Amino acid sequence: VLHVTRPLHTTQQSLAPLPPLPEKGGEVRHGLIPEEFFQFLYPKTGVTGPYMLGTGLLLYLLSKEIYVVNHETVAAACILSVIIYGVKKFGSDVAAFADKLNEEKVARALAVKNEAIKDLETAIEMEKKEQWRVEGRSYLFDAKRNNIAMLLETNYRERLLMVYNEVKKRLDYQVAMQNLKRQKEQDHMIQWVEKNVIQSITPQQQKESISKCILDLKALSKSAQAAV
Amino acid sequence: MAGRRAAVKAIDWVAFAERVPPNQRAMFNALKTRSDALSARLAALPEKPPTIDWAHYKAAVAKAGLVDEFQSKFSALKVPEPKDTQTAKIDAQEAEAAKSTAEYVQASKARIAQYEQQLQKLKSMIPFEQMTLEDLHDAFPETKLDKEKYPFWPHKPIADL
Repeated sequence: VLHVTRPLHTTQQSLAPLPPLPEKGGEVRHGLIPEEFFQFLYPKTGVTGPYMLGTGLLLYLLSKEIYVVNHETVAAACILSVIIYGVKKFGSDVAAFADKLNEEKVARALAVKNEAIKDLETAIEMEKKEQWRVEGRSYLFDAKRNNIAMLLETNYRERLLMVYNEVKKRLDYQVAMQNLKRQKEQDHMIQWVEKNVIQSITPQQQKESISKCILDLKALSKSAQAAV
Repeated sequence: MAGRRAAVKAIDWVAFAERVPPNQRAMFNALKTRSDALSARLAALPEKPPTIDWAHYKAAVAKAGLVDEFQSKFSALKVPEPKDTQTAKIDAQEAEAAKSTAEYVQASKARIAQYEQQLQKLKSMIPFEQMTLEDLHDAFPETKLDKEKYPFWPHKPIADL
């Protein structure tokens, strides 16, 4: 990209925050000559213009001995060739490494920021959840009042039941007492009657009944054969 | 025997359980078991006791006035309802809880506002690639090197490096 002039202090407004710096610097050809020079000469001289200018300039300097070739030229040639070889071979790797370092730094900062954001959001959510929980407090008091009502009701019903049971027990007792008395009277009466009857059997009557029984038995034994 | 205690309100135990925080779960379980035990006891008792068959007893018992006397006294008897002493306390507790709840919600809202403010600040920050060191110090004041307290490089205690 050609060099972009940054519009600072062009208007009364102040640009804040500053617009970011461009990613890459201005383009250059052959590592030295900015592209704007070629664009500048293009309308008049076309594509080969700057190269012609450069070659002509160089030949002029050499032939007129304005630039003298001496031992320093050789040294410069060797040093420059080594430097250019080194940069061409390892330049991109070194650049990548430096970029990676920078990126790691930025990524660390970004991670910290994201984590902070996440923590804040979860904190807000927790607070909202706690508020929602607290709204349910009526359940607790309803449950407690329910328990009280149930206890009272249970107690009342137990009392009613107790009253009923007691009265029933007493009535049943009366009935049972009566029945028992009745039964005892009956038994006593029967026993008394039996006793009197036995008493009234005089010894004379007893003798008569025994002799009659013996006669009956003799008659029976005559008719019945002993079954074996 | 009508006009008695307040009716038992139906409680949604599931919704209740949802709102219980985990550190109070044991208390909640205790409350629930107690409630269930009470309701089981209540359900086991009949609402009205069975009526006494006065005719049968009148025919059965010989003593003349006994059954009549029992009957008259029985129908005249009013079983007293147990007194409700605790509901007032519960209502007082509820009022207090409402107050403390309002305070808690207030404080919670203040905290939320704080968090929201910080969140806004973080979200509206310029991306790190466009920040200068000065911008970083403005956004995160803790990164600023204290040049008065530690005038010599590295401007922070060695242990913090």
